[in-house]
Amino acid sequence: MAALEITGLRKAFGGVVAISGVDISIELERITGIIGPNGSGKTTLFNVVTGVYRPTAGRVVWQGEDISGQPPHQIARKGLVRTFQQAMSFQELSVRENVYIASEHGSQRADAAKPRWGSPEEILSFVGLDGHGEEIAGSMPFGNLRRLGVAVALAANPTLLLLDEPAAGLTDREATALTDLIIQLPKMGIGVCLIDHHMTFMAALCERLIVLDFGTKIAEGPPDAVLHDPKVMEVYLGNDL
Amino acid sequence: MENTFEKPGALARPAQTSSLSGKLAPPAGRHLAGIVPLPSLEQSVAGVLVLALLLALPWLHLGYRFLSIAVTTGYTAIALYGLGLQFGQAGIMSTGHAALIGIGAYTAAILANHLGIGFWIALPFSMILSAIVGGLISLPALRVGGQHYIIITFCFCTLLVVILTNGGWFTGAATGLDVGPIYPVFGINFDKLRNGYYLVALALVITLVLTYMLTNSPYGRTLRAIRENEPLARAVGINVDLHKIGVCTVSGVFAGLAGILQVYYLHHISPTLYGAFPSMFLALMMMLGGAKLIYGPLIGAIIVNFLPEVMDLNPVDSRIAYGIGLLVVILLLPGGVSAGLVDIYRWLVARWRVLSQISAAH
Repeated sequence: MAALEITGLRKAFGGVVAISGVDISIELERITGIIGPNGSGKTTLFNVVTGVYRPTAGRVVWQGEDISGQPPHQIARKGLVRTFQQAMSFQELSVRENVYIASEHGSQRADAAKPRWGSPEEILSFVGLDGHGEEIAGSMPFGNLRRLGVAVALAANPTLLLLDEPAAGLTDREATALTDLIIQLPKMGIGVCLIDHHMTFMAALCERLIVLDFGTKIAEGPPDAVLHDPKVMEVYLGNDL
Repeated sequence: MENTFEKPGALARPAQTSSLSGKLAPPAGRHLAGIVPLPSLEQSVAGVLVLALLLALPWLHLGYRFLSIAVTTGYTAIALYGLGLQFGQAGIMSTGHAALIGIGAYTAAILANHLGIGFWIALPFSMILSAIVGGLISLPALRVGGQHYIIITFCFCTLLVVILTNGGWFTGAATGLDVGPIYPVFGINFDKLRNGYYLVALALVITLVLTYMLTNSPYGRTLRAIRENEPLARAVGINVDLHKIGVCTVSGVFAGLAGILQVYYLHHISPTLYGAFPSMFLALMMMLGGAKLIYGPLIGAIIVNFLPEVMDLNPVDSRIAYGIGLLVVILLLPGGVSAGLVDIYRWLVARWRVLSQISAAH
């Protein structure tokens, strides 16, 4: 039984159906990626799973517990932590405080498999923000804000990390650094599921890809197979080719 | 998890860490009761100066009128600290704060008039009732954004005035209610202005200490996180709704205290004291003084209450002056006068450091 089981999930906003009947299983051991054209429901999926929206139908089961419709803070405390598409931070607070707040309120369960960070500085080091602790979050350049987002999420003591377009707006070099960071997480006991558009980034990082289009799953499997799937190619490139 | 700071003194214990929890070692340094950091040298000096000024004020013989305004400023500042916590820390602005003061005041007045209950027994009731109402009117803030909530609170205080005006003999209707003097304790007669002043000053000092502790505790940090980025706060496990209700409830406690002090100082209250216009005045004081720094509310209350006195302005001219002051603050000093004063202080310290380095080099 996978750590995160999404069954028959449906989310409609009035007449607009963002997700129509999606079944997804996510394990902690393999990095899972979710791709799809804009508007295919990827971020909405994250929002429903993490409690920002209530599902219209279907269930979200996390570690055997039905968490469908629970509020976001409760879900975060159970070890299911997400980052945001926009680079989010507590702008007027220092970098260190940002990380520290997440550690105060995140899941309080220690796990033999997961890292035991001794101080915010250790997490900041891990994401490459050494020495930036006293900077005001809002004054940092975009690349660093992205790193801070990951640091804050890590400080919340996640068992599964949901990263929403973590490479968006990053240079190739920054994206590579991010890849090196993310790839270590499963070995540290932290599962990863990410959404992004950079195909090379996703193909290199993910062991399993899920493709969404118009709110439904159209393909699933290892990156090589998925990216050569004719249905997937049609969705991204059209069928004139 | 190792805790990394120095051995504690009598009052200061190292902040709690547990090797079983996900918590990281908190900021280094000595802490009071393990939660609140001890004030810095500058903060301590400022605190001592403020305390000295408060104690010495009646002895400066600036006149009866001056002392009276000081009393008004005092309890207004207490209410403002509640608003400061709500707005400065949690980002929830309210233009109905006068209504919460009114709840405290009317609770005391009604208890006195209908049940013969005096100041000291009514004190907790005023604070509790204002706290409850504060918590209740925060509920809309959970669902709507800041601008809408400002309108809602504005309506609330207007509504309260209507209810009080139509409350018949119970609330004294439009005429209002009278109260007698504060029952003496330890032989202190509170009819004497100086004693009344010291009572308010004591309440203000307690308010300042509590505000300091709340602001510098993990609770304060959580409130600031909510203010900065609500969705992110939720995403890291903060129960935003509960905290919003909580801070507005605490805000009500301060307002209730201010209310009962006000009614026993004025000896008479009526509904219009707690309507929209007084609420606007409180918001004005908040803006002028600055919401985020600890002396902001006090400075704001001092400016608004003493300015007409010091500059000898009539009511109309004083309102023009407030308007100009507000514009100046919005354009030049967004953090309020308190933030401006801190900036000046820091600039002076920096200059002094440069100058002493230059002279040392010679």
